[in-house]
Amino acid sequence: MATPAAPRLMLMILSAVFAFLYIPISVLVALSFNESGLPTAWTGFSTRWYGELMHNSDITSAALNTLIVAVVSTLLATLLGTLLAIGVEIRRRKGRFLETIIFAPMIIPDIVLAIALLSFFSLLDVTMGLHTVILSHVVFNLAFVCSVVRARLKTFDWSIVEASTDLGASTATTLRRVVVPVMLPAIVAGALLAFTLSVDEFIIAFFTAGAGRDSITLPMQIFAMIRFGVTPEINALATLVMAVSILALTLSQRLNRGGLPGQ
Amino acid sequence: MSQTFLSLQNIEKRFGSVRAVDGLSLDIRQNEFFALLGASGSGKTTLLRLLAGFETPTGGSILLGGKDISRVPPNLRQINLMFQSYALFPHMTVFQNIAYGLEMERAGRAEIRRRVGEMLEIIQLPHLAKRKPDQLSGGQRQRVALGRALVKRPHLLLLDEPLGALDKKLRGDMQLELKRIQHEFGITFIVVTHDQEEALVMADRVAILKDGKLLQCASPHDIYEHPNSRYAADFIGVMNFLPGILQRDGVRALDGSLIQAGRPAGARDGDKVVVAVRPERLHIGARKDGNGLKGRVVAMAYQGLDLQLHLKSDLSPDPVLVRLTAHDAESNPLSEGDEVSLGWAARDTRIFMA
Amino acid sequence: MQDRKPVYLMAPALGWLTVFMVIPCLLILALAFFRRGIYGGIEYSFTLENLALVFDPLYAGIFLKSAWIAGLSAAIAVIVGYAAAYAIAAAPARRQPMLLFFAVLPFWSNYLVRTYAWIVLLNREGLITGVARLLGYDAEMPRLLYSEGAVVIGLVYNYLPFVILACYAPLSRLNPEIAEASRDLGASGWKTFRRVILPMTVPGIATGFVFVFVLSIGNFVTPALLGGGQFQMIGNLVYAQFLTANDWPFGAALSMILIGIMMGLLTLQTFATERASGARREES
Repeated sequence: MATPAAPRLMLMILSAVFAFLYIPISVLVALSFNESGLPTAWTGFSTRWYGELMHNSDITSAALNTLIVAVVSTLLATLLGTLLAIGVEIRRRKGRFLETIIFAPMIIPDIVLAIALLSFFSLLDVTMGLHTVILSHVVFNLAFVCSVVRARLKTFDWSIVEASTDLGASTATTLRRVVVPVMLPAIVAGALLAFTLSVDEFIIAFFTAGAGRDSITLPMQIFAMIRFGVTPEINALATLVMAVSILALTLSQRLNRGGLPGQ
Repeated sequence: MSQTFLSLQNIEKRFGSVRAVDGLSLDIRQNEFFALLGASGSGKTTLLRLLAGFETPTGGSILLGGKDISRVPPNLRQINLMFQSYALFPHMTVFQNIAYGLEMERAGRAEIRRRVGEMLEIIQLPHLAKRKPDQLSGGQRQRVALGRALVKRPHLLLLDEPLGALDKKLRGDMQLELKRIQHEFGITFIVVTHDQEEALVMADRVAILKDGKLLQCASPHDIYEHPNSRYAADFIGVMNFLPGILQRDGVRALDGSLIQAGRPAGARDGDKVVVAVRPERLHIGARKDGNGLKGRVVAMAYQGLDLQLHLKSDLSPDPVLVRLTAHDAESNPLSEGDEVSLGWAARDTRIFMA
Repeated sequence: MQDRKPVYLMAPALGWLTVFMVIPCLLILALAFFRRGIYGGIEYSFTLENLALVFDPLYAGIFLKSAWIAGLSAAIAVIVGYAAAYAIAAAPARRQPMLLFFAVLPFWSNYLVRTYAWIVLLNREGLITGVARLLGYDAEMPRLLYSEGAVVIGLVYNYLPFVILACYAPLSRLNPEIAEASRDLGASGWKTFRRVILPMTVPGIATGFVFVFVLSIGNFVTPALLGGGQFQMIGNLVYAQFLTANDWPFGAALSMILIGIMMGLLTLQTFATERASGARREES
């Protein structure tokens, strides 16, 4: 879009918005390396607080739990979401109902899905723990994987599928040797996105993890910690968590030149 | 050479209420270079997809070597298709693309290497074996697509608008190339095209399709000389049409003159007809034993050695096209606005129902 | 591929969504019509009390407060986000993807961490107070954290990237010649914006507003962390019914209200989108 709008005004707007977006997190990152741990006095660069994190067993076990949840739910969601995307795209008719069901996990407020799952699991008398968090995370993860893969499928040349069949391949072989390899960047991009979402997800985990201390995930741990104020350890932990998300997302974006979902 | 190899018997394909192919029968011979010619929506692509197996007919049967294959899935037919978009696998090299079909036949590695190597020689791309499709030119991609389909030594090769994506000059080269390869392999080729010139140059026989029905099937020469309908006459080559009313002794033209022509099958006196004549069959000067028309030159254009004239004539609402040889043009110098008399032989006159 | 194959490909995922989304949501719907047991728990008899309770004056205050805060956040986010999206769309084409990426990047990092960043800035020993003192402001600082303003800032901060995305989509699709045509016909830059560009980009604005509003009104994390429990949003109320007050049927009724607000606004948004795009296309 070419507009006659004043370039200087545009530059001011962009600078202000990016400052608003990035100053808070930059301050956080900077403080995490502050020797004194105080927000007001810089006493020197140090990785001391990162070291302390490693000795906090609450944090390390929560991190391990989060890793388990994220990895397992991502794998499941990637498989289900990819198949779903392929299925939806090769279907000729587009059903409104189907679209709604697929879209719903991305727009239902977290709190609603969270209490719905909590009610569901307790009604069935399921003992809650990491496994119920995994089951729940797959719900929204598969929707996001599906949307990333579908975006790529829109530009997919379906005639290569027919070409593969024409050259003698069965449907399974075509899927394995042609569709999946061509789609792989998008599938991995979707998986990375799902991984980040799962690592960061708090509300649903909070409601579906049950009461046990051994099923606390990292966001739950962070929530518990930040309710009681600012500590240098949280700064370090927050920086780490953010770094993981940003790394995974940048990678996802690279792989999937189409951009992030919603774009 | 003349035994029937592929036989389409009363094939019908409906999509909902649309009949894409409507009761079509056709026999294709072994080693024939056959062209399916038609405008878009004529059903030619559907017919090709029926042959490849991507669609199943809703009626009739397809016999290949006497066996009904209309319900055999595409991966089990010994028929291969060269796709209009080429449909090369973007993540595989040229070599891998060509090897793919052989791998599906579970050919040994040594055999695959040998046969792909041979094919690369034939399509003249051995130096590009390690390239990916996006590093190839349009003409090179077309060759890879051809090689990938041919390497399986199918009984029948289907080509969907094979030259459509190429520029005009390359197209001419590839037409001859396709003929050469077809000859070398002795495989039956069926080409789908909307380009009549392409069909005339390459094919042994041409079938003209319209609205899912077969209009005419003959050699290019026969169709050109003896089109069986106004549509076929118009579709192949250029044709002048002169409307008139059929009478006992000829056709009463628009200006009231009488044109000598045969009569269409089943036509009666008083029917509306069109008389047709090719532009190159019109000659300057009236003649005693044929037909003639008068007109005024409204435009002239040189096309290579030939001179093309547009005449305004009372015989036709449209401009009459005339194609004069260089020799004719030189001996009769013309300029725009000149009145000119033309004649043509009775044997060059065609007549169709209007 | 044949027509029946998609079913097998879709079945596992659709099955999953049915069991872990559709059925639980229907369950919540049913729960809203059951009676609360005397000691918490659920008594399986039909009642409309829960829904009636939602409209009790006691809760009406919370609703209005929630709607006010969510509306204010959504309005600010839309104004700032639209300006940012406009500026991005006006940037040179080759820079736009990068600008957009960096505008959206924070959105995908941890929500709690982003909220925590504001605690760091706003708390009594925080950076803003520190800077103010450094600049010689000695008087008593107003309390920054644990205020309504802090909650609004937190919500705007968290959802702004989404609004930028939503507004950028229609702006980037605008054919520059349309704006030029308007100028050519004699409209000023501002008139062109108000009469041509703005109406054509209403769908993005509507999408942005609806999502910020819905996500804010159902939020319980930001009010808890930045509002310090000073006031409640609907989200906090739902949270409380399930985790402390143990009145699940009432919590279910409240969340139905949430869904109802969302669906209502989405319908309005669809309507706005259809009006903006006119009869141009039937289906996306």
